[in-house]
Amino acid sequence: MKLINRAGRAAALVAAAGLLAPVPAFAEESAGGASILIPNMAEFIPALIAFLIILVALAKLAWPSVLTMMDERSKRIEESLADAEAAKQAAAAKRREADQIVADARREAADIVLEARRDAESERARIIGSAHDEATALIARAHENIEDERRAVYASSAETVANLAVEVAGRILNERLDEAEQRKLIEKYTEQVGSLNG
Amino acid sequence: MDAFAALPEEINHLVAEFSSAPVAGDLTVGLTQYSFWLLVAAVVFAVVMAVFVKKQTLVPRGVFVNGVEYLIEYVQNDVAKGVVGTGWRRHFPFLATIFLFILINNFIGLIPGCKPGTGAIGCTAALALVTFVYFVYFGCKKHGVIGYLKSLAPAGVAFPMNVFVWVIEVFSLLLRPITLAIRLFCNMFAGHIVMGSFSIMAAIFAEPLLEHFSAMNAVGALPSLAWLAILLIIYAVELIVAFVQAYVFTVLAAVYIQIAEAEGH
Repeated sequence: MKLINRAGRAAALVAAAGLLAPVPAFAEESAGGASILIPNMAEFIPALIAFLIILVALAKLAWPSVLTMMDERSKRIEESLADAEAAKQAAAAKRREADQIVADARREAADIVLEARRDAESERARIIGSAHDEATALIARAHENIEDERRAVYASSAETVANLAVEVAGRILNERLDEAEQRKLIEKYTEQVGSLNG
Repeated sequence: MDAFAALPEEINHLVAEFSSAPVAGDLTVGLTQYSFWLLVAAVVFAVVMAVFVKKQTLVPRGVFVNGVEYLIEYVQNDVAKGVVGTGWRRHFPFLATIFLFILINNFIGLIPGCKPGTGAIGCTAALALVTFVYFVYFGCKKHGVIGYLKSLAPAGVAFPMNVFVWVIEVFSLLLRPITLAIRLFCNMFAGHIVMGSFSIMAAIFAEPLLEHFSAMNAVGALPSLAWLAILLIIYAVELIVAFVQAYVFTVLAAVYIQIAEAEGH
């Protein structure tokens, strides 16, 4: 409204200036030469009135809405740009977050794999140790069994050899020696034989 | 060569035709051909703005709305913001109105059979007077009447030189509306005289051929083609001149407003 008031006052001033202008000076016939630069009132007054009407009408009815629309557009564009920038920042943040998550997942997966490998390694070592112990125990037990078997065989074979020897010697010597002496002799012999094998 | 002999008389006739002549009343109270076409341009301007305001949307669509917006933004950015500066919004209605008013008048004058409202000194004097009153009013409003008159003299000049400079500045101030009016009028008037001269030359040289077809007349009419080509070029130039003159008038008005409101010289 201020603008309209100012335009109205300006219009009044201009109209007053136009009406106070020396009319005869503009009224000469324009036949060419310098008179072409003398304004005719038939042109000056209609032009003045037409322009002032247009100026006031547009200042009141058109320019405020035109400027408002253009300001609104500028504001919307600025807001859209700000929103786009914010969305870009948010997307970048999400991207960084996603990258962080992926990096964490990769690190965790690597840790899991490492731990599994370590567990597998220790399990393998445990199994191998266990198997080794078991095998050692089996071998020891086998050795013991073999020793026992060997001893039993030696004992059995000594018995058999003694019996055979007694029998053979008895037959050969026609029982010159009594049985007790023969047995002592044979046991001595088998001990000698056992010491040779042991 | 009869054509060249007839040329001065035809040019004088053309200039006489371009002089203001009343179509209603007389040259004091009435309408001349220029003020008639100025009123036509004013109506066209009002219609264009009414349609534009109705059609303008947040997202401009269509050649018409975009074209008018381009012109308005041009005045807003290059003239109002660029020259006036921070207080541009207050003066934008005046600058946009005067630019589009002159532009439409100039373009209407380029339509064959029409006359530019700005082709008469009376019309341009009215626009220049409004501009003069406008910037003096805002200068006085900003500084007060005495302050504005004082501000005409540049600061920092010692007495009595400042009085001498002040007198020169007052003359310069009073000459501004005169130069505004004469510059616009002469450019439009002279441009139309030149276009009219070349169209007369094209017609004069072709006239014998149109009256009686013969080889001699055909050869004699050949320069008409050259005049026609030059006429078309001048017409294109006049399209630019129409825009440039509206721009120059508006920029100078903006400069005067800026100077009038400036804190000190």
